[in-house]
Amino acid sequence: MSAARDYPLDCWYVAASAADVGSELTSRRLLGRQVLLYRDGAGTVVALEDRCAHRALPLSMGSLVADRVVCRYHGFAYDATGACVDVPSQDNVPFGARVASYPVREAGTYVWVWLGNPRRSAGSAVPRMPWLEDPAWSSLGGELTVASGYLLLHENALDRTHFAFVHPDTAHRGYLEAEPPLKVEVSETSVSYARDFPAGPLTAWQSAATGLPPDVLCVQRESGVFVSPALHVDHMEIVGPERSYRTVFVRAFTPVDGSTTRVLWQVARDYATDDALASESLRRVHERTMLEDQPLLEAIQATLDRDGAPRPVNAAADIASVKAHSIVRRLLEEESPQPQ
Amino acid sequence: MTASSTAITTVYTEHVSELEVVSRTDVADGVISLLLAAPDGGELPAWTPGAHVDLLLTPELTRQYSLCGSPSDRSSWRIGVLLDPASRGGSRHVHEALAPRSRLSVRGPRNNFPLVGAPTYVFVAGGIGITPLLPMIAEADAAGAQWTLSYGGRTRASMGFLDELAAYGDRVVVWPEDERGMLDLDGILGRPQPDALVYTCGPEGLLQAVEGRCAAWPAGSLHVERFSAKPVDSAAVSTSFEVICQRSGITVTVPEDRSILEVVQDAGVPALSSCLEGVCGTCETAVVEGEPDHRDSLLSEDEKAAGDFMMICVSRANGPRLVLDL
Repeated sequence: MSAARDYPLDCWYVAASAADVGSELTSRRLLGRQVLLYRDGAGTVVALEDRCAHRALPLSMGSLVADRVVCRYHGFAYDATGACVDVPSQDNVPFGARVASYPVREAGTYVWVWLGNPRRSAGSAVPRMPWLEDPAWSSLGGELTVASGYLLLHENALDRTHFAFVHPDTAHRGYLEAEPPLKVEVSETSVSYARDFPAGPLTAWQSAATGLPPDVLCVQRESGVFVSPALHVDHMEIVGPERSYRTVFVRAFTPVDGSTTRVLWQVARDYATDDALASESLRRVHERTMLEDQPLLEAIQATLDRDGAPRPVNAAADIASVKAHSIVRRLLEEESPQPQ
Repeated sequence: MTASSTAITTVYTEHVSELEVVSRTDVADGVISLLLAAPDGGELPAWTPGAHVDLLLTPELTRQYSLCGSPSDRSSWRIGVLLDPASRGGSRHVHEALAPRSRLSVRGPRNNFPLVGAPTYVFVAGGIGITPLLPMIAEADAAGAQWTLSYGGRTRASMGFLDELAAYGDRVVVWPEDERGMLDLDGILGRPQPDALVYTCGPEGLLQAVEGRCAAWPAGSLHVERFSAKPVDSAAVSTSFEVICQRSGITVTVPEDRSILEVVQDAGVPALSSCLEGVCGTCETAVVEGEPDHRDSLLSEDEKAAGDFMMICVSRANGPRLVLDL
């Protein structure tokens, strides 16, 4: 595909779940690049270009020996900065023998990587997600690869008007009946939506997760925020008779390339934290929602790829995704010249 | 199962933070800096160099100030405020009414003056116009770019933040008018540099002089931040025209004596606004069809010629009809 890159490189993206990066070499396709991930002897995650500078063999086919990545083909060895430090066939290392090394941050559940201009990474913090680390919360999650561009996933996450059509069995009744106003709020780098539903009965999965009887009437609040091109976070709150039940649905969207996206998702809750049934109920409903969206997004991407992408018609309620697109457009315009 | 056809009302707003003044510092004659934070210490919205916020000082008094601290500090915002003798009330209110523990509402941030990545930057500041350039300089320096700052002011004592700038050594040229005369713009900008971007903020006279010197530079080189409207062309005639709000599916007629913004808001179309004089960029709207008659102080000549975006608080139509992304 010849379409221009639509994801900024100067941004922190989730490379992997922290639990999936260990002392073995693993390779991931991220933002159109092949990236090697591993933990060194001290447990620090390292991200390098997965391609030997010598004959382009993926370094992930080699081995990790005393914190050096050793190429499977001729034994070229690289340190954590990407510098080649040993070439077995000669005494000196050829000039310029190195692979790209990418800034990494490990925060709670996620390993974040910066594939753009490395010098710009220092001034940018990875998003804070306290619910994923707070011991008063519990979380579960998973990973999904969708054959659509990451902006289609952001649009889908900011869009509440498809729920009645795509998720009728699990959507809150407010989506199917009275529609409360959609409050959309913007700032320079983010856009969020919020809706307050008047007191009403819970859906079956909400009742199962919280343990509240299905006929108790609860006010519900939901909001979601486009945090960055790499992250969307939804908040759902059920105001019960005794207490509030808060659920946070985190979706890290990492472009694999222009038309494939890896979704690393987590659902955190501050209630029934030890309850396996609650976990099962939340896992099922969130997986189901994503799997209901997936074939639609993939069919849209296939259509765009096959027949082109003229300017779409937007509806009034699409204001949040229109704003997200304009934030991304500006980030791309401002991006610093990228190193090769 | 069929879905209901209940219409959804959309309420569209900019983020507003309720903040407290943490500290107030005299940084130069007539210039204070204020540090603002959420009373509960919570995280503030992210921003990038060049961003500004609206201080909602009273129901009638809203003023824009650049954020001049560090974008990586998510718990506080710093602004610098000059007590302008010709104040329309904003800077006087800030100087007289805001002290540590004062509460105020702050809208934004937003950014019409973003720092575009480049290998080289020429920064030109006049007086309090230094404020948006401070975080830009920090970012350019951290990114390894080549840069210079020429900073003019009436007197050395009137120029804020000199202590912070001293750390950059001779990349910063301090140019007090009573010691050295006016900034040597011919020396700074006389020779166009193809790889460099020029960022300038300061009094209108300086901005127009910089615009004049940069006429020979490549298109898109110059980036200007204004906090008051450019002098208007009094010969401009306003006529009536039609606006089609594409997303909303609503068509309105804008009479000669009203703005697009007023008319679409009256029709219930969600649209943001703040300054109402074509300076702050809040009402920027994408143009789907038709030719705008640009009357703002914000878009560059290239952007105006492209006609992709317009400021609907002041700009109008060349022709009978505009289709806007509203």
